[in-house]
Amino acid sequence: MRRLRSLQARLLALTLGLVLGAWLASALVVWLDTRHELDELLDAHLAQAAALLVAQQVHEMDDGPGIDAPSLHRYAPKVAFQVFHEGRLVLRSANAPAAPLLDAAEGFRSGLRSVRIEGQAWRVFAAHGSERDVQVYVGEQLASRASIVWAVLRGMLTPMLLALPLLALALWWAVRRGTQPLRTLGAQLRQRRPDSLLALQLPDVPAEMRPMLDALNALFERIAALLEAERRFTADAAHELRTPIAAIRAQAQVALGASEDGERRHALQATLQGCDRASRLVEQMLTLARLEAEQAPAGAPVDLLALARRVLAELAPAALQQGQDLALEGEQPCPVAGNETLLAVLLRNLVDNALRYSPAGARVQVSVSQAAGATRLLVTDSGPGLDEAQCQRLGERFFRVLGSGRDGSGLGWSIVRRIAQAQGARIELARSAALGGLEVRLSWPAV
Amino acid sequence: MRILLAEDDPLLGDGLRAGLRQLGFSVDWVRDGPAAERELRAEPYAAAVLDLGLPGLDGMEVLASVRRAGVSLPVLVLTARDAIPERIRGLDLGADDYVLKPVDLHELAARLRALVRRAHGQPQELLRAQGVVLDPAGRSVSLDGQPVTLATREFDLLQLLMLNAGRVLSREQLEQQLYAWGQEVESNAVEVHVHHLRRKLGAGLIQTVRGVGYLLQREAPKP
Repeated sequence: MRRLRSLQARLLALTLGLVLGAWLASALVVWLDTRHELDELLDAHLAQAAALLVAQQVHEMDDGPGIDAPSLHRYAPKVAFQVFHEGRLVLRSANAPAAPLLDAAEGFRSGLRSVRIEGQAWRVFAAHGSERDVQVYVGEQLASRASIVWAVLRGMLTPMLLALPLLALALWWAVRRGTQPLRTLGAQLRQRRPDSLLALQLPDVPAEMRPMLDALNALFERIAALLEAERRFTADAAHELRTPIAAIRAQAQVALGASEDGERRHALQATLQGCDRASRLVEQMLTLARLEAEQAPAGAPVDLLALARRVLAELAPAALQQGQDLALEGEQPCPVAGNETLLAVLLRNLVDNALRYSPAGARVQVSVSQAAGATRLLVTDSGPGLDEAQCQRLGERFFRVLGSGRDGSGLGWSIVRRIAQAQGARIELARSAALGGLEVRLSWPAV
Repeated sequence: MRILLAEDDPLLGDGLRAGLRQLGFSVDWVRDGPAAERELRAEPYAAAVLDLGLPGLDGMEVLASVRRAGVSLPVLVLTARDAIPERIRGLDLGADDYVLKPVDLHELAARLRALVRRAHGQPQELLRAQGVVLDPAGRSVSLDGQPVTLATREFDLLQLLMLNAGRVLSREQLEQQLYAWGQEVESNAVEVHVHHLRRKLGAGLIQTVRGVGYLLQREAPKP
C-alpha cells in the first residue's frame, strides 16, 4: 500500500481503521457468544421436547387419531419431530418425513447430531424410551438459529455502520483541528523570505511541536551567527588587507618615480616586505577561517616536547638572524590528547609572536613539563611585555598592539585562542618573572 | 609645500613620505596620535594626511581636537575604514577629504594640491600673478607665455607667495612652510631664493617690506 503523504489523511485512516476493527472484533465476540448461548438453550429445548415426547408415548401409544400432529405455529415448519414405536412411525409433525431423521443404518444412538436433510442443515436430538421400543427424534433447522444470530449482529452493526460516515466526518474535523498548528507553521515557513533568519513565532504551540520549533529556531540562530561571523570576517579581512596593499602600492610608485638607485632599491625592498606581510595576513586569515569552520578530530596522543622541538627548529634560523636567543626546556615526552597539526600551528604562532614582538638580542624560551598528569607549556620572552588592558584585548581579531613597530596582522592571537579552546587547553598571560617579558601559559588538565 | 603625514604603519608611512617627496612636497611623518595633534597645533603645514587608526589618540579625536583649537589647515583623512557613517563622521569632524586605502600617489598629491588651493581661495588649477603662471601639478612656471626654469626651492617659494598673494609673509613663516624636519636651512636661504626669483621673473614681482617680510601681489603695483 502506498504510504499516505498527508499526516491528516494518515491520522484519519488510522483512527477509522481502528474503530472499524474494534467494532468488527466486538461483533465477532458477540457472534460467537450468542451462537454458543443459543446452541445451549435450543439444544436443551430439543432434549426437553424429546423427553416429553418419550414420556408421553410410553403411556398414550395408540390413542392418537393419526400419526400427523397438527401445526400450531407459523414457525412450526422449522421444527420437526417423529415418534417411532417398535420401528413404526406413530406420530410426526407435518413437515417430518416418514423415514427417521437420523439414518437408521448407523444404528440408533441417542443424543444430539447435526445432519443434512433434503439439503437443509438440521439439529436433531434422538431419544428412546426405557424399554427401547419408543424412539423419538426432535429436529430443528439450523438456519433458524443462524438467522437469530444474524438478527442480533444486525441489531448491533447496523447503527454502527450508519454512524460511520458521521464518525468519519467528526474525526476529520477533529484531526484537522488538532493538526492546525502544523499548517500554521507550514504557512509561516512558506511566507518567510528565504534569507530571513528571525525566530519563528507561533502562538499556543502544542507541546509536541515545541521541540521541533525550538530546534528550528536554534538552527536559525546558529545560521545567523555563522553568517554574521562570515560577514564580519570578510569585512575585517578586506579592511585589514587595505593597509598592506596601500603600502605596496605607495612603495611601488616610489620605486617607479625614483631618480636614484638607492631610493629605488629601498622602495622595492619595502614593496617586497609589503607583499610578504599581505601574504602572511592572508595565510593567517585562511587558517582562522578553517579553524572556525571545522572541528578537527583528535588523533593519537601528541608528544608536545617533540612537537616543540620541531617547531623551534623551523623558527630558529630567523631568530638567530635577528640575534634572538631561542631555547627549549623539557626532559621527558609530554603526551597530550589533541590534533598534531593544530597544535603545531598554535606553537608556531606563539613562538613567532614572541620573536616578532621582542627586540634583537632578546631571549625566547619554551618549556614543556608534565606533573601529576597535567601538562604545561610556557612560552616566555624578554620583550617589552603587555599591560593589563592589552592582555585583555589580545585575541580580539586584528587587535594589534599599536605603536609596537611590528607589522603583525593581529590574527596570530585569535588563532592561538581558538586552537587552545578547541584542544581543551587553558591559556593565561602574565608578565614573566624570569625574563621580564610576556609569559604565555598553556595548561592541559590531567586526564 | 610642507605636509604633515600621520600614519602608524611603517611601510605605508615610509612609502607615502618618499612618494610625496618625489612629487615635490616636504613631508614630516609622525606615527602616533599625540604627536600628530602636537605638530598640527604648532607647525605651519599647508595640509595634513591623517590616518584614522593611530595609536595613542585616534585620528578622529586628533581632528576634532585641532579643529576645536581653531586649526584650519586642510586635512585629508586616509583610512581603511570605509563604512559610510565613518566617512560622514570624519567629514563632519572637519576633514576636508576622505580617501580610502589603497590610494594612488599621484591622486593623493593632486587632492592635496586641490585642498591647499581651495584653502587659499584659489578655485583654479593654475596660479596667476602679473604675467607669471604657475602650474602646481606640472611644477612648471611661465612668464608671459615663455617657460622659466626654477630650482625646487625657488618653485616652492614662488608657489607659497602666489598662494598667499596679497599677504605679507615673514622669513620665518616662509622657512617653516618650506622645510621639513631635518632639512638644513641656511641662514639667508630665503633671501637667496627671492633674489633668484627676481632675476628670472622680474624685479617687481616680489616686494620686500623691510623688517616684516615679502609680498607678492596679483596685479602689478601702479608705478
